[in-house]
Amino acid sequence: MKIGIILLVVAAMALLRWRKVGMLTWIAAWLLGIFVLIRFGFTTPVPMSVVKLYMGILASALIAYIFSDAQRQEQVKSPLKAFLTEKKFAPLLGLVAIAIPTAVAANIYFDMTSPAKPPAFGRTVHPAPPAQINVLETDFDMATLDNPYRHLETDDPAAFQERVANGRVVYYKNCFYCHGDLMAGDGMFIHGLNPIPTNFQDQGTLPILQESFVFWRIAKGAPGLPEEGGPWDSAMPAWENFLTEDEMWDVILFLYDFTGARPRALHDLEH
Amino acid sequence: MRILGSGQRSALASAASAGKTLFRRTLFRKTLVGGVLLGGAFLATTVPASAQGGSVPDLGTEAQVAEGKVLYDKYCSQCHGDEGDGQGIATPYLNPAPRDFTGGKYKIRSTPTGSLPTDEDIKRSIRIGLPYTAMPGFPIFSEDELTSLVAYLKTFSEDFKDPEAYLDPIPLPDPPPYSPEAAEKGKLVYEQTGCGRCHGNLGRGDGLSAPTLVDDWGDYIRVADLSQTWTFRGGGTRQDIFRTMSSGFNGTPMPGFHGAIPVEDIWAIVDYMTSLAGNVAEAPYGNVVTAVAVEGDLDLAQGADLFVDAPESMFPLVGQIIEPGRNFNPAATSISVRAIHSREEIAFQVTWNDMAAETTGLNGPELAIPLWEEDQPEGASVADEEEEDGGGFWGDEEEAEEDSSEDFWGEEEAADDAGGDDSFWGDDDDTADASAASSTSEFSDAVALQFPKTSPEGIRKPYFLFGDTELPVELWYADLADQRSKLYEARGSVSVVESESKAPEMVASYEEGQWSVIFKRKLRSGSSMTFEEGVFLPVAFSVWNGFNRERGNKRALTPWYNVYLKPREAPSPVAPMVKAGLGVLALELLIIGWVRRKKKSEAARA
Repeated sequence: MKIGIILLVVAAMALLRWRKVGMLTWIAAWLLGIFVLIRFGFTTPVPMSVVKLYMGILASALIAYIFSDAQRQEQVKSPLKAFLTEKKFAPLLGLVAIAIPTAVAANIYFDMTSPAKPPAFGRTVHPAPPAQINVLETDFDMATLDNPYRHLETDDPAAFQERVANGRVVYYKNCFYCHGDLMAGDGMFIHGLNPIPTNFQDQGTLPILQESFVFWRIAKGAPGLPEEGGPWDSAMPAWENFLTEDEMWDVILFLYDFTGARPRALHDLEH
Repeated sequence: MRILGSGQRSALASAASAGKTLFRRTLFRKTLVGGVLLGGAFLATTVPASAQGGSVPDLGTEAQVAEGKVLYDKYCSQCHGDEGDGQGIATPYLNPAPRDFTGGKYKIRSTPTGSLPTDEDIKRSIRIGLPYTAMPGFPIFSEDELTSLVAYLKTFSEDFKDPEAYLDPIPLPDPPPYSPEAAEKGKLVYEQTGCGRCHGNLGRGDGLSAPTLVDDWGDYIRVADLSQTWTFRGGGTRQDIFRTMSSGFNGTPMPGFHGAIPVEDIWAIVDYMTSLAGNVAEAPYGNVVTAVAVEGDLDLAQGADLFVDAPESMFPLVGQIIEPGRNFNPAATSISVRAIHSREEIAFQVTWNDMAAETTGLNGPELAIPLWEEDQPEGASVADEEEEDGGGFWGDEEEAEEDSSEDFWGEEEAADDAGGDDSFWGDDDDTADASAASSTSEFSDAVALQFPKTSPEGIRKPYFLFGDTELPVELWYADLADQRSKLYEARGSVSVVESESKAPEMVASYEEGQWSVIFKRKLRSGSSMTFEEGVFLPVAFSVWNGFNRERGNKRALTPWYNVYLKPREAPSPVAPMVKAGLGVLALELLIIGWVRRKKKSEAARA
């Protein structure tokens, strides 16, 4: 959230309240204020389609608010009526009457002449894994699967560090071309990939995932994704073809160790 | 000329040794005289760095070195090696190879050829990285951390201890504004200076000596494609290019021209390169091929002229590193595409830069490839990987199926190991061998366009790597050895077979370091996907570079992009605009009239 924008909108609203402006101004202020908040108030840009959706909801709410009270109705209607009928507004009314159809026509023009856009595909980033997976001829039950070497972290730190070091070798032999040296999903080949590789530094990846999920994604890669994950576009290899089971668990230990993230524990899901 | 101090002599000695590497190469034999002049100018214009000369060089405090080591071990050693010798985990797969710091040879510098970098030079490379290599930028480091890293890096080479081994940085003026006239003059200077011998007449990295170049460590090194400034290791801004031109790249055949040619001439060449790249700051990659409608038949004899009205889209190519035949260092970095359609046919022109046309030998998307193969285009590297040959990976069935071709390629590689090429990539730069090698390559260059076999329904597309078992793809494949096109149907990379349907028509040409291949096919043909106007259809591309031993699944590729056939008759927006405008106006008048009448009647009642 951008605090500056929020404060600005709140201050503008307070000013209108203090000046005791009319109902029409209030309506305009609400529409404009909420638009500014949604469109510019967030650090991550909100897509225009979502903005439109919220503006629609707001418009219906305002209409309901106005028509629920005769006095408010009157407050809206009388200035509008004056604008449409009184002579002193006639030149302005004429301008508005021409401007609106012109804007509609211009909108149609730009719609029809701007280059067509390729269809977009909203893929699910973390699709649900199957109940069971078979990796290198071993069946794994996803509900109970956990990193078999995670316990070493407390039981045998030296052995754990050895595994992490091995995971590092696996990572820099195989993974960093796409996932990057810093695991930020910005390796040397990403400009030629779509979708881009996962950013493991993102709080929305490793910390919210169980190690079994990461294991599934590594072992089965793109070809193992369900349809909603867009397996035909993803460049993630099925690593069971290149790596041993131990190497895959080791590289998972390394991912968490390097990024400082903690895996989501099995029992977290039981709540 | 002033008398040289011993330190300066040693710096010059290292410059001379870098120079020696240059002069070994044939391309510079002819410019030997020029090279001596260059050396003379170099003597006259460089003095020991005043800041550091004579005093103790700043090697950092012990605490800084210790902090630097911790950072280095975590973030750098995986490529540059624990000992700073460039022998890290990933080294075998990278070209350019990670820098060996033990010789004090730093590539991106603001200092004269052969001299040590400034601290800021090293920090810059760490902070920004080297574009289009495995060296990323590390924006995570604070200024203090960078200082510590530099202090630690200096411990790898004794050179940094020599107070007089430092030379003053070359002045980096603010760039004069870009001018087309300067670019034109730059073209002349470029030719006179002999840049084209490595970089090619039009800067596409196709100079005669390009296939023979090695760095100071004996590794093959690819010449920069000057028409793609965004791939420049030292950065692609005009000031970056000026610095690279002036200081050269230590450890590589790229010399520095500071003092050898006038500063204005360097700027002129900078502008020439800028113009070659279309004067853009970033790679102008697109995501749609727009095929424009043309009248009449598409006559391939017209070649590139057919496509004058078609917009060009450039797509980045990356190595296929997803399946066996992992290609970590593809030769081509981008492919440009144009397309047109008549009422009956569609034609595509694809162009990409290639330093030499490999028009002998075999290639094909179906060729078997070992599971691992190091990328150096040299025979020796294949030897160790032989044991792990590709077949086993895909399971027994495929192995049995592809047995014969497997054996064939196995033998080829064995023969390769036995001798042949080895000596060529060794120390003796024998250009006779080199040109022979490039004219009789084992693998030819090739390109393929990939389309779904049938128009996709909904979002589902075939797997972008040669399709999948449910949804096959078709490959329009151009074999550039015998200038023949083939049509393949693929259901994944283990099932690529030549189709019995008619292959697209194809013409290909190679000129000034660039392949141009034109394909043509009916909009509707047999069981293949139909090209329809006004619809986005998936398309992907593969490029094989024979010199880089790319074949089969070892290739450069793109993910799915789109091809859009612009409708022949675009509907005119005028009618809908007038209709909607008048409609809204009528509605407005109705409302105004109704409100006024109502008010009047109210007034009358009152």
